[in-house]
Amino acid sequence: MNFELMVQAMPLLLTGAAVTVQITALSVLIGIVIGLFVGVARISTYRIVHLLAAVYVDFLRGTPLLVQIFLVYFALPVVTGQRIDPFIAAIAACSINSSAYVAEIFRAGIQSIDAGQMEAGRSLGMTWLQTMRHIIVPQAARRVIPPLGNEFIALLKDSSLVSVIGFEELTRRGQLIIARTYASLEIWLCVAIIYLAMTVSISRLVAWLERRYKIDDQR
Amino acid sequence: MISVRHLKKTFGRVEVLKDVNLDIAEKEVVVIIGPSGSGKSTLLRCLNYLEKPTGGEITVDGMTLGGDTDINKVRAEVGMVFQRFNLFPHMTAMENIILAPIKVRGIPRAEAEADALRLLAKVGLADRAAAYPEQLSGGQQQRVAIARALAMKPKVMLFDEPTSALDPEMVKEVLEVMKELAREGMTMAVVTHEMGFAREVGDRVLFVDQGVILEQGTPEEIFSRPKEARTQEFLSKIL
Repeated sequence: MNFELMVQAMPLLLTGAAVTVQITALSVLIGIVIGLFVGVARISTYRIVHLLAAVYVDFLRGTPLLVQIFLVYFALPVVTGQRIDPFIAAIAACSINSSAYVAEIFRAGIQSIDAGQMEAGRSLGMTWLQTMRHIIVPQAARRVIPPLGNEFIALLKDSSLVSVIGFEELTRRGQLIIARTYASLEIWLCVAIIYLAMTVSISRLVAWLERRYKIDDQR
Repeated sequence: MISVRHLKKTFGRVEVLKDVNLDIAEKEVVVIIGPSGSGKSTLLRCLNYLEKPTGGEITVDGMTLGGDTDINKVRAEVGMVFQRFNLFPHMTAMENIILAPIKVRGIPRAEAEADALRLLAKVGLADRAAAYPEQLSGGQQQRVAIARALAMKPKVMLFDEPTSALDPEMVKEVLEVMKELAREGMTMAVVTHEMGFAREVGDRVLFVDQGVILEQGTPEEIFSRPKEARTQEFLSKIL
């Protein structure tokens, strides 16, 4: 094992890790925004809205992320006639994919709130949307922190798939260094350790958030 | 104030309400009693459309439910108090009370807060405005729930077994608030097992059984001289 090589490769790998964090964070953020709307649509009483949301979720959860990345990066330009920047393609594929999982998390969180809360809101003359916004969603938000954390971690690992379109995040950086040095063992070990450090940090952060809001809930 | 004509409600194949006809006059206090599963709660919940009737017509304050009527407008005039309180746990008592007046009535926050303090004082909880539901006893929570409904200045109040989920020592404080409301001339429909309350406060008592109003009359008529065998049987079990 060549430790010197591992140390030398570190700065390059870490800048790749920074890119990984960047696309993951951006994708989760966009995924949460889309997912909130889709999740609410999933429980809508309007059949069309509900159905469209179900199809959206089913498609994204029923096809591999890798295929979705190919669809965005290779198939979409065929239709539009425009090349897509790998960064945009990576973010688009990851955030849309994540939004389906986030939608299911929000749906479950919303449905875990007692039906009496919706009835109380509606009986006061508030609309369905007002009740959702002021009463149901704020309560559900606390309950979705742990599963959202898991989704963040899953996406961080899955983002390694965007290396296939040549986007230089952590995994791709590792591949490129190995192509030059042939040091498979050393570099993949480094890559794995960096991923592990990131996922462990996130799960600690989520555990902290969870504790904080549990205390809030007990007021 | 409320008129119900040929109200029917079925859940799947179960007929919960069969042809119910009912009029509630302004300032009248109508108490609905009956065995569990008789349909009395469903009847009450149809009055503000929390349950959608299968058939028949309901008119509240001149507005006919269903069709083009904006149900939120009707509900704004009809306060409801639930068995399980259903306070919003992430909000203080004050926030629970002012939310709908601000969002639905468009009342300025300061005015809504002043109103809420007055209502909290009325239900004997002036000092608990900043408390969260979890910090309140069941009886206190139910009184906040009543204040929350009253904050919309409703024309009718519906009570769905408001004391059934309470410990016995807390029943009285809630009933006292309801009695006070009745004295002030609030139009009320109350589903309850509290026969003392029905006798003392009710203008009219309805006995509901198997989806129909089997018998109705003044409390005196129902409790002292029930005509129907099933009413007699029910009362003998609970009195």
